[in-house]
Amino acid sequence: MTTTANPKTTKDTTVRASRATKDRSAGKRRSSTIIVTAVLVVVATYFLVPVYWVVVAATKSTADLFGTNGFWFAPTFALWENISRVLSYDNGIFLQWFLNSVLYAGVGALVATYFAAAGGYALAKYEFRGRNLVFGTILGGVLVPGTATALPLFLLFSQMGIANTYWSVLLPSLVSPFGLFLCRIYSQATVDTSLMEAARLDGASELRIFHTIGLRVLTPALVTVFLFQLVGIWNNYFLPLVMLSDSNLYPITLGLNNWLSQVDRLPEFYELTTGGVLLSIIPLGIAMVVLQRFWRGGLTEGSVK
Amino acid sequence: MTTTSHTAGAQPRQEDRPGQRTPTKAARGTHRTGATARAPWILLAPFLALFLLTFILPIIVALISSFTKVTRSGLFGEAGVTSGFAGFSNYAQALSDGSFVASIGRMLLFGVVQVPFMIVLCTVLALMLESGSAKWPGFFRAAYFLPYGVPGVIATILWSFLYVPGLSPLLDIAGVFGLSPDFLGPDTVLWSIANIVTWSYTGYNMLIIVAQLKSIPVELYEAAKVDGASTLRVATSIQLPLIRPALVLTTVFSIIGTLQLFAEAQVLKTVAPAIDSQYTPNLSAYTTAFAYNDYNVAAAQAVLIALAAFTLSFVFLKFTNRKSS
Amino acid sequence: MAQLSRRQLLGAGLGTAALGILTGCATPGVTSVNTKPVIPAAGGEPVTITYWAWLKDLQNVADVWNAANPQIQVNVEWIPGGNAGGYQKLYSALAAGGGPDLAQIELRTIPEFVLVNGLVDLSRYGAEEYASRYDKTLWGQVQYAGGTYGIPQDAGPMGMFYQPEVLAKVGAQPPATWEEWAAVGKELRTQDAYLDCFPLADASVFTAFATQAGANWLKAEEDGWVINMTDDATMDVARFFDKAITDDIVQTGYGAYSPGWFAAAAKGGIGSVTSGSWGDALVQGVSGGEGKWRVAPMPIWGSTGYGSSYLGGSTAAVLANSKHPREALEFATWMTTSKEGIDAMILNSGIGWSPAPEFIGTTRLEPSPFFSGQRYNEEIFVPASAAQNQDWSWWPVTQQSFNILSDGFRKKASGTSLMDSIVTSEQQIMTVFRNKGLTIRKEAS
Repeated sequence: MTTTANPKTTKDTTVRASRATKDRSAGKRRSSTIIVTAVLVVVATYFLVPVYWVVVAATKSTADLFGTNGFWFAPTFALWENISRVLSYDNGIFLQWFLNSVLYAGVGALVATYFAAAGGYALAKYEFRGRNLVFGTILGGVLVPGTATALPLFLLFSQMGIANTYWSVLLPSLVSPFGLFLCRIYSQATVDTSLMEAARLDGASELRIFHTIGLRVLTPALVTVFLFQLVGIWNNYFLPLVMLSDSNLYPITLGLNNWLSQVDRLPEFYELTTGGVLLSIIPLGIAMVVLQRFWRGGLTEGSVK
Repeated sequence: MTTTSHTAGAQPRQEDRPGQRTPTKAARGTHRTGATARAPWILLAPFLALFLLTFILPIIVALISSFTKVTRSGLFGEAGVTSGFAGFSNYAQALSDGSFVASIGRMLLFGVVQVPFMIVLCTVLALMLESGSAKWPGFFRAAYFLPYGVPGVIATILWSFLYVPGLSPLLDIAGVFGLSPDFLGPDTVLWSIANIVTWSYTGYNMLIIVAQLKSIPVELYEAAKVDGASTLRVATSIQLPLIRPALVLTTVFSIIGTLQLFAEAQVLKTVAPAIDSQYTPNLSAYTTAFAYNDYNVAAAQAVLIALAAFTLSFVFLKFTNRKSS
Repeated sequence: MAQLSRRQLLGAGLGTAALGILTGCATPGVTSVNTKPVIPAAGGEPVTITYWAWLKDLQNVADVWNAANPQIQVNVEWIPGGNAGGYQKLYSALAAGGGPDLAQIELRTIPEFVLVNGLVDLSRYGAEEYASRYDKTLWGQVQYAGGTYGIPQDAGPMGMFYQPEVLAKVGAQPPATWEEWAAVGKELRTQDAYLDCFPLADASVFTAFATQAGANWLKAEEDGWVINMTDDATMDVARFFDKAITDDIVQTGYGAYSPGWFAAAAKGGIGSVTSGSWGDALVQGVSGGEGKWRVAPMPIWGSTGYGSSYLGGSTAAVLANSKHPREALEFATWMTTSKEGIDAMILNSGIGWSPAPEFIGTTRLEPSPFFSGQRYNEEIFVPASAAQNQDWSWWPVTQQSFNILSDGFRKKASGTSLMDSIVTSEQQIMTVFRNKGLTIRKEAS
């Protein structure tokens, strides 16, 4: 509903705004600022409304959730009760889910970034037979939907006996074809071959050259790859859904959906779900706001030529 | 795709032989040659090993099981179950399943509407944020980007509360104006999903475009200013052409993302009777595998989904390349 | 050179290992546990049994047993309900060669698990000696191909929960037949209320109505499965609801017990719900509903068919990879037939109808304050559980059949009648059977 309303206004105002700036008088300039800002405020409302709703909803009891206006607080303020119930339900399983998510995303992203950096650097800085074939294959991997490999991977892991373990979610998270792709581009552009040669003459081993010269120069790109992979794993749902059956291994996405799926039998799960959703988006929301400035050009530099 | 991955899977092993024999120009001395030739493979090894395990092998498994068929004798197969080569019969079965084909058609419709809409929206937002006419651009950038940090499942749970009659304040507000929109009806629920996807990914795509906009040299803007170009003109003749790579990238990712849609439909299904268990191709494959226990047909469906994503991305890239040259 | 060959060897080794894995994971569930030797009793050693179920607080029930049986300790793990994720977990655990000893599986899903060799045939462990303790209809629904594949755990004989005040607006009493039901529904529309919902997206309710009318969709015969979904009973029920939907007598916008339903029921916009006995707990969730609801027998199809039908119901089934099937069976029969087991399940887990006709549960013998002191369990549901279509049995692709049916029913909005979609659904279901490698034919009329 809100979505369809937005684009029209947005487009109109850009046109108007641009016409306005043709004349460089200060008055017009101010008016264009007002118009552009107004549009941005409307769009921001759209993005923030669901978050606002869950903040309000988390303060309500189930009866108030259905009985009072969703955009305003109810007379009884039940936020702390709700949150303590979320944290204490089933011996604090929520915290377990949260820690699992941190483990999958944190460890997965860190290791994946390192492997992608090593691979991307190798493909960029060394000449060897089969290089293009390897790179082409990995590039193909970027295009294969992650969900298409999840089902066969489950059968494979079942056979290996690691389905329904931490490894079954962690191992696939350690591979980031897109990260390798970025690292290769970035290595080509920034890692100085003559510096590598000098290090070789000094007798440094190839691995040492990568760790001392390569990784340091690549750092900005690594931050981007790390964040990309972090959010990717944090948001992943299909893979853990397919792999895990033990709820102690669940990441937060799976756990909350588990709670939601019970509301039709047990309405008290409404409070647990809204409280849990609120708790789960606070840390990530903060992280997004703080980290968004690191999300830099590395993503697209020369990506599609 | 399949053929490339097949050969590539075996590649590393075959290829290190010639690499060791032919000295690299860069290397000095025979001792060095071996180390330099080995180095890229050592560096690549962890990635390739995992890539082999989590991409190549599953693709091979999917291919094998998609060509396997189970035959049973007796009422439940209690008199014997055998599996054997199936030819293309699993593919034929997947493609003759009306619900599965319908789900692909539904995603095409979704992609044709939602992807351009989102790309236009995020481009316009990026241009406005970077136009210098907006106040507090940092705040807006953060606000738009925030939903990206909300996992699709949780975003869907959030929005489902805003869609469900009896709970949704949006419906209450609409009711004041005498409207009673049905967000979860058979004709509207697809667009309710589109809204969730747009909400989640617009900020992320916008940030990619902003990053590319920031990399445009200042001189270009100054030259345009000297020529007296309008903001609109600057946007169409300088900014848009230069952010083309970012647009292509975000579009390709959005196309792949569309075919992968799963969580949104699966979660919304609990409140929307209009969503059946094969609403999206992925949901279809999941249902076939885990509710109908037909891993072989599910594998065929997964292969078909991957092929579709591959073809669409490829066609789109070809199309944009031709256009630019 | 030495280095080279070592690497080649390693490569070859890895290749072989990979190939072994690949060929090994072709298709899960093709070997049957029921052809292997029977697993003997643990014989004195204490054993732990795991039970995956979605009933809430079932561990409390198991604890009652655990206190009295130190040799057989039962550990309950909660899973999502049935097709909301529980079965997926069970199937994946089976495919991975693991899983619990016991699992909650709905009656209608038993044959699906049999098809993937997921269940232990309990008749090999002496289940027959318990047969007499169970409701005949329910016991019949766990018998397939000469084996017993689950222990009935709870069920839902159908009755009609109604609001006398709403019906009184048109001067109506609870309808005894579906004809009367349609007439009351029509009257209620003048009062801006619906008598009931009809779920287009959930075929299980329609199936229960057809069962009541005497339908018998699938039969297992010597030469394979025999299907008949277009018999008179089914077609009459379909025709009836086709007309009810077209005449706008039933609400199809939301289903029973959805948020929209609760809102409408509280405002008197919904007069009744014809549902399983477990609906009592849900009806009590209608805000301000105390004293406003009563229970009546389900309407009947004139002179044909049965007095009631079962809607829902689940079993405790022993999974194929269980190490202790005998002990699991022992616990399952205690839980479902002993007084303390049944009472504990009602108290903690709020189960549906007890599968043991001997004992419906202590609290269920009491008059209910919510239902204005009515002793509805004895009055309505005991007779209902006796008036069942005992010939009905489920088949190995029930869930998929239900999805096919509801996909067809959804097209009612665009003008395809229920009757037509049942005819096409039957064809599709036959294709599904054949795709699974099973034999099926249409019953000669």
